Amino acid sequence: MSSIKMFEKPLGMRDTLPAIYEKVEAVRQTGRNFLRGHGFDFIKTPSLEYYDTVGKASAIYDASLFKLVDSQGNTLVLRPDMTTPITRVATSKLLKEKIPLRLAYFASVFRAQQTEGGRPAEFEQMGIEIIGDKSVFADAEVIVTAIQLMQSYGIDSFKITIGHAGLLNCILSDYTDHKEQEHKLRTLLVERNYVGFEEAVESFDLPKTKSDALLQFINEATNIKAIEDIEKYVRKNDALVYMQQLANLIETANLSQYVSFDFTLSSHMNYYTGMLFELFAEGSGFAIGNGGRYDGLLNHFGSEVGATGFGIRVDRLLEVLPKFEVEEETVAVIFEAELFTKALQLANELRQQGSLVTLQSKDGIADEKAFALNFNRTVYVSQEDLSNE
Amino acid sequence: MNELTIAMPKGRIFEEAYQMLIDAGFNLPEEVEMSRKLMIEIPEEKIRFILAKPTDVPVYVEHGVADIGIAGKDTLLELNRNVHELLDLKISKCYIASAGLPNTQMNEIAPRIATKYPNIAMSYYKEMGEQVEIIELNGSIELAPMIGLADRIVDIVSTGRTLKENGLVEYEHITDVSSRLIANPVSYRMKSERIQDLVSRLKKLVN
Repeated sequence: MSSIKMFEKPLGMRDTLPAIYEKVEAVRQTGRNFLRGHGFDFIKTPSLEYYDTVGKASAIYDASLFKLVDSQGNTLVLRPDMTTPITRVATSKLLKEKIPLRLAYFASVFRAQQTEGGRPAEFEQMGIEIIGDKSVFADAEVIVTAIQLMQSYGIDSFKITIGHAGLLNCILSDYTDHKEQEHKLRTLLVERNYVGFEEAVESFDLPKTKSDALLQFINEATNIKAIEDIEKYVRKNDALVYMQQLANLIETANLSQYVSFDFTLSSHMNYYTGMLFELFAEGSGFAIGNGGRYDGLLNHFGSEVGATGFGIRVDRLLEVLPKFEVEEETVAVIFEAELFTKALQLANELRQQGSLVTLQSKDGIADEKAFALNFNRTVYVSQEDLSNE
Repeated sequence: MNELTIAMPKGRIFEEAYQMLIDAGFNLPEEVEMSRKLMIEIPEEKIRFILAKPTDVPVYVEHGVADIGIAGKDTLLELNRNVHELLDLKISKCYIASAGLPNTQMNEIAPRIATKYPNIAMSYYKEMGEQVEIIELNGSIELAPMIGLADRIVDIVSTGRTLKENGLVEYEHITDVSSRLIANPVSYRMKSERIQDLVSRLKKLVN
């Protein structure tokens, strides 16, 4: 390991320079107004949590957790996601005050990078959680909110792909002979290894009806327009009815064009129990966000109520955001030492008019021309100008 | 119709895969001038090929600078990138195996494995319940057991001739390898019609 140079930051850590900062801030403002307008209350949780509580319950891989030790010898983690801390605070406190809860967040999460550069280890996430509502309306609200949030940023080229963990489990267990096969197939689907899925099915030596059904399923189920198309694979069950209702609600909201169904969708986040989805937009090579129903996580924290939500990665949202113009005027007021009072007065007047004013003494500048280039407009307060008046 | 960017490995696999696309009915020029070009535009089909080193294809696809790509299963296993594996093209078939000098046992204390697939080798021996030390090499892997650098090698085998000529024998068959069609997760959704169409046309050829 070479020694660390003065300019280096830990792997994946990034500075936010003014231009990006403003962009993030604008994203935060729009998101905040939008979500508050939809009845979500913003909350914040600590950056550090116990490994034994939030760290273990979180679905983020253990190797991605930043771990440290406190003065009592407890292992701590930098929060790797927001859903788990919010579940902790909801089950231990907030649910006693109000059910269901509608919570929102905009916060940094931390995930150590393993493979290579090009990925941040700290990034902002914005999202919502509806806790204490098991109805299909809560899930529909989550999806509709995600779509409308994207629209509120002026993004139009995006897609939401919805699946159902319970339905997939049902199909996998119906068409395999034992748990091990089911588990193997699910792992392959999490990796989106469709080739591996087919190979595995063929290697299992299943009765022909079962293997044929699975092979047909993997071919058809990744891109389903209507829920009826999946009916032939499952016995009559509640999840199917549920998905049909969900599809109808999205249809009623007139947002079907953004939605497709993929019943092979499976997540390594094993606390997803019902509907789950991923959000993609043109312009970013990675999924922008994901969400779903995670009643399982609530169980882990000792609560029986249901929960559903989504999170969007702000760094990827920035990649797909349409061009973003700031309409503020920046002005430099450059003054000679003896005219400070005059300059201050002028600066305050300009600030009143809404400009962003930098007050700078002429003596402090090394290169006046270069300095002036950073502003829309430069105003000099000098003896000469005063005598001209 | 959006443009589709396809990352292709340079060399023999490119030619085979390119021919498959022509056979699948894509309107591509019969002769494509390879020379030193790294990008080939096919405006008639709105397709753009990027020519990459085979092991880099999954990287381009994962980052989304290529929508789909053709990569060997060996590379996919080794790099473990977040891409969708859509179709086995069943070209350039071979397999990964362990090999060594005949009638030898692995060192009991710290067996050494020379390979250019450190991840595949590591996870294979882990699965077998064996803790090994990996020595990463980039070529002429067969040398390692001959000169006493390693007990075994883990390498790709197509005919087994290279092993034989260097006096090595195959010990364990680790996994089969062939070229796969892979897709970026976002492109798979955003350009799903084009990609599904391509997959179904190629699928007919493969089976």
